[in-house]
Amino acid sequence: MILTAAAIITAGCGGSNGSDSASGSPSGSQPSSVSPSDMPNDQAPPTRLVIDVTLKGGEVTPTNEQLQAAVKEQIVIRVNSDAADELHVHSTPEHTYKVEAKPMQSFQFTVDVPGKVDVELHQLGKTIATIQVQ
Amino acid sequence: MITDRSVAVLAHGLGGSTDLPIPFTYALIGAAWALTLTFAVVALAWRRPRFDPDKPGRPLPRWVTAVIDAPAARWAAAIGALLFAIWVAFAAFTFPQDARNPLPGVFYVLMWVGLVALSVAVGPVWRAISPVRTVHRLLGERSLGLRYPESVGYWPTVLGLFAFVWLELASPNPRSLGAIKIWLLGYLAVTMAGALCCGGRWCARADPFEVYSVVASRLSALRRNRNGRIAMGNPFNHLPSLPVRPGTVAVLAVLLGSTAFDSFSATQQWRNFVDDHTGSTATATMLRTAGLLVFAGVVAVTFWLAARTTGGVDRQRRLELPGLMAHSLIPIVIGYVFAHYLAFLVERGQQTIISLFGLADTQVHYVLSMHPSVLATIKVGCVVAGHIAGVIAAHDSALRLLPAGHQLTGQLAMMLVMVGYTFTGLYLLFGG
Repeated sequence: MILTAAAIITAGCGGSNGSDSASGSPSGSQPSSVSPSDMPNDQAPPTRLVIDVTLKGGEVTPTNEQLQAAVKEQIVIRVNSDAADELHVHSTPEHTYKVEAKPMQSFQFTVDVPGKVDVELHQLGKTIATIQVQ
Repeated sequence: MITDRSVAVLAHGLGGSTDLPIPFTYALIGAAWALTLTFAVVALAWRRPRFDPDKPGRPLPRWVTAVIDAPAARWAAAIGALLFAIWVAFAAFTFPQDARNPLPGVFYVLMWVGLVALSVAVGPVWRAISPVRTVHRLLGERSLGLRYPESVGYWPTVLGLFAFVWLELASPNPRSLGAIKIWLLGYLAVTMAGALCCGGRWCARADPFEVYSVVASRLSALRRNRNGRIAMGNPFNHLPSLPVRPGTVAVLAVLLGSTAFDSFSATQQWRNFVDDHTGSTATATMLRTAGLLVFAGVVAVTFWLAARTTGGVDRQRRLELPGLMAHSLIPIVIGYVFAHYLAFLVERGQQTIISLFGLADTQVHYVLSMHPSVLATIKVGCVVAGHIAGVIAAHDSALRLLPAGHQLTGQLAMMLVMVGYTFTGLYLLFGG
């Protein structure tokens, strides 16, 4: 079993936040690595799970990544894309975000019901990551 | 908007999150129990067969049978289910054609998992509520009077069940409303045509839901005695009454193999494998279809070989053994179905009912998902209990079927195969 909770930083990003949800956090490219063991649930420290996604020439990185997050933890997906697509977050309830063909878009959500959550690019039909939320 | 281009690998054909993997310790404890109890059963348990499908159960009061068999009650259940089916069809075509549509929930949750739970609880209900049977009855049970060939047995059901699990686990887009509608229309057309040609026997042999319901009902404590009276009895006496027909082993192999494939296809290794080796929707679908076939095939072949691996029987008997032992797979299938789909049934079931009847102000209670350790315990419990019941049923029928002198050695291969199923099941639930 892979316990790497390390969020993947593909590019040194920075700059403006994208279309959908404005995350109020600073745009520094700090690798945020969260595993449930070092994050007690009762006092909510400002940890986030950041997933950097690059969509280029019909290829997406990463794919089928295994990640972990806590219930109600901020999960941020930052997308650099050269094509329009749709980002599906198969949590309960589900989230759907429009991905446009532009760099630095970011989508933020939390998951309230524990479970395995697939994050998927719909048009491309690829699973970016499966997040174990517990 | 849902487009049909997607090659999404959605668990269970529905969106939303899936269960967390069970923790390693739970898997180990479950496996240890399964192994210990298997050997305890084989080595120490009874030496004479105890379970007998002809043993009558304890009859319930007469009025229970009278009420259940009353034509009014039969018609009420059948018409109620038909109206429900019509409402679902109405919702499928007129409700918003997106993720909120209740059709996938009705199809994958209520019809597939809910039917099993109901059949285990009260018996083979699909026969009483099948919309095709009801329509056929409303038409006066007219048929062309063709004879259903006995040699075909359950094979049409095997195809039907495979078509279902293919849509759920291997098709390009399992939640596509269009695909589900086509599947259901095909099912209705084939079953209706069969009923009009061969009468009710077609439904009993070739309707996948009816056969699945009958298979699950053999684990029910409720049954009918020979005189038709409804009775309560030991499910182990009920299990061997599973009809042995051509295709019985294949029915169980598709059910068990597909549930295992459902877990397997969610693993990272399999998804990477599919991504690396396929370039298009079509090839990915073909690869998943092959995977599904391999899983069902492995179950069928291992069980078939293990049931035949015994000395002291003639050719004819050896040929019959896999069918005669097939009922011992039922508890394993049902245990695994509950381990795998219980949270899905309870939570998606609520969601489906809410969206089907527009109960906007009702909330879904995530009773199981919110307590992952309780859920994990239930899952391991289901797998281990199913396994033990399977081993006991197999042991007892080995005593009944195998000649003296080969009763211990003759069931060793079967026990090994069953332990293998359990370990594989726990391993897959553990997350690969």
